Amino acid sequence: MAMSQSSAQVPVTVLTGYLGAGKTTLLNRILSEQHGKKYAVIVNEFGELGVDNDLVVNADEEVFEMNNGCICCTVRGDLIRIIEGLMKRKDKFDGILVETTGLADPGPVAQTFFTDDDVKARTRLDAIVTVVDAKHFLGQLEQGDEAQEQVAFADVILLNKTDLVSADELKKVEGRIKSINPYARIHKTEKSKIELEAILDKGAFDLKRILEFEPDFLEHGHDHDHEEEVKSLSLTADRPVDPDKFQKWMGALLQIKGPDIFRSKGILAIDGAPRRYVYQGVHMMMDADWGQPWKDGETRSSKLVFIGRNLDGENLKRGFQDCLK
Amino acid sequence: MKLDLANPAWRTALPPSRTVTADAPVSACAFNRDGATVAFALGDGRVRLLPADISAAETPAGEPVHRGAVLAMMADPAGDGFVSGGDDGRLLRLGTDGTVNELTNQKGKWIEHIAVHRASGAIAAVAGKNALVVKDGQTSEFGPHQSTVADLDFSKDGSRVACAHYGGVTVWSVGNVTLPPRRFAWAGSHVALKWSTDGKFIATGTQENDIHVWRIAQSTDMRMQGYPAKVRSLSWSADARWLFTSSQPVFTAWSFAGKGPEGKPPVQFGEEGASLITVVAAHPTAEFVAGGYESGELQLGDIKTRRSVVLKLADGSPITCLAWSTDGSRLAAGNDRGDLLVVDLRR
Repeated sequence: MAMSQSSAQVPVTVLTGYLGAGKTTLLNRILSEQHGKKYAVIVNEFGELGVDNDLVVNADEEVFEMNNGCICCTVRGDLIRIIEGLMKRKDKFDGILVETTGLADPGPVAQTFFTDDDVKARTRLDAIVTVVDAKHFLGQLEQGDEAQEQVAFADVILLNKTDLVSADELKKVEGRIKSINPYARIHKTEKSKIELEAILDKGAFDLKRILEFEPDFLEHGHDHDHEEEVKSLSLTADRPVDPDKFQKWMGALLQIKGPDIFRSKGILAIDGAPRRYVYQGVHMMMDADWGQPWKDGETRSSKLVFIGRNLDGENLKRGFQDCLK
Repeated sequence: MKLDLANPAWRTALPPSRTVTADAPVSACAFNRDGATVAFALGDGRVRLLPADISAAETPAGEPVHRGAVLAMMADPAGDGFVSGGDDGRLLRLGTDGTVNELTNQKGKWIEHIAVHRASGAIAAVAGKNALVVKDGQTSEFGPHQSTVADLDFSKDGSRVACAHYGGVTVWSVGNVTLPPRRFAWAGSHVALKWSTDGKFIATGTQENDIHVWRIAQSTDMRMQGYPAKVRSLSWSADARWLFTSSQPVFTAWSFAGKGPEGKPPVQFGEEGASLITVVAAHPTAEFVAGGYESGELQLGDIKTRRSVVLKLADGSPITCLAWSTDGSRLAAGNDRGDLLVVDLRR
């Protein structure tokens, strides 16, 4: 599966977050502010935005299972249709934003960009941006899986409504976010106020731009270590990776554990290869390519990152060790 | 209208044609009922009319009729103009004299697909999860379906309308909204639909790059696999013996004569293009088929002799739509760059 990148492809940003976190405020700003760019916005509730604009498209979240025997292979049928329709317009877009409702799993949206050839030809998934309500996030975690899943999927997080909490509360929320997903870039905001460059055109899924994953743990980020919770796990290796063994292991792993693994990423030092081998996955969809070349004298180490639920660290570690030369 | 592809003239020169440039992608094209005018639906909200006669003076471009893109357009079955649907949720009746009449306004939805039935004058359009049928000045609504309707088509006699959606096809009686519909189930999303010209079969293209065909009387179905891309364009020959499909590098036709296509490979013929066929259109009366490629190439094929000729060379702009004049003497094509092509096939 290859997701080819080219400048003709319109970047798509997936915007997610709990009801009331500030997504609508953010979208209204993107649509109404003068920034010289043109963004199409795909929303679920037309009325909410209060902007009558050709660039706003109403969508019902239509999650379709593919009839191909793959159990977690779901796509957003409405998105496929709408992207195709948008491409018929004379005016081209600098980007497309897809809002998902507060309760929706962002998985099918992301998978649409891995599986549908027509969508892949015209657009590229740029990043998943999650808006988090600083005041209510901890409470939302108690109410169900959605809040933590949205954080788990994110490349960029807007920690919003920071003016409504104390410094201590904010620190607590930030710590909790990082315990779920230490790889997302966090921006603290009030009233969803942020420079658009911070959230749009980030290339988070661009394999050519990935050099390193730097986790951002707080010192006390690991107080919530229940197995059923969503967390991240990273594996490293200094010995080169055997590509055949790795492919077999990862394929089998995603096949079985795909529903529980929200995001997976990796930079691999393949035995004898001059370039990094980079991959990105959403559930069981995976996309891989050769990335940046290793520099002379650079330490060639491999790193895998998983963000998901019920991750068995020991088992993953052993599996990865078996893929090394 | 007799076309003889064995005539050496087809090999020595491209047939006479006219190309007009618009600066927006072409989403649909159609000849009107009397065949004198051809229309091209554009991504800037305009519908550009041209005379079917390529030597007649070009008519000027009009004003946009839709806000946003025109997404669907066909000949008006009850007049000499056209019907169009767009991003703005409006379904319009367009006169060749420039008059515009709104048939319905479904604000917030896109009118992406239209079907017409010439003998009864009925127009069907997709509006979200529902299908609308406009007939004798009355609009009736069918649905909601379990997802947005992806395509729709009338039966041969115009008494029924079939809607493709996630999970299969639903067939409604046009004259009776309250009559329970007939459902044809097949898992997955169906993205294109064509009712056969003899009314006996319904064919769909699916999200999984397959074709699904139902034999209506027997309620049996069949599945054709092996396409490298979604089959978005399906076209039945005038005699319903062949189902032509896009998404192969050559003309591909499934035989529905006799016992049908089960257990047999499709007939494939023609010059292999450097890309896949994006649109196919069967000739309205005879055994010919036109195919537009992703590369911009346009070919004309003859299923009887398995010959094909090139009507337009590749230019890198995918063909997005094709339309035959009623008598089959002219072919219109549009591409995603905004070229409006009318080919005169009489030679």
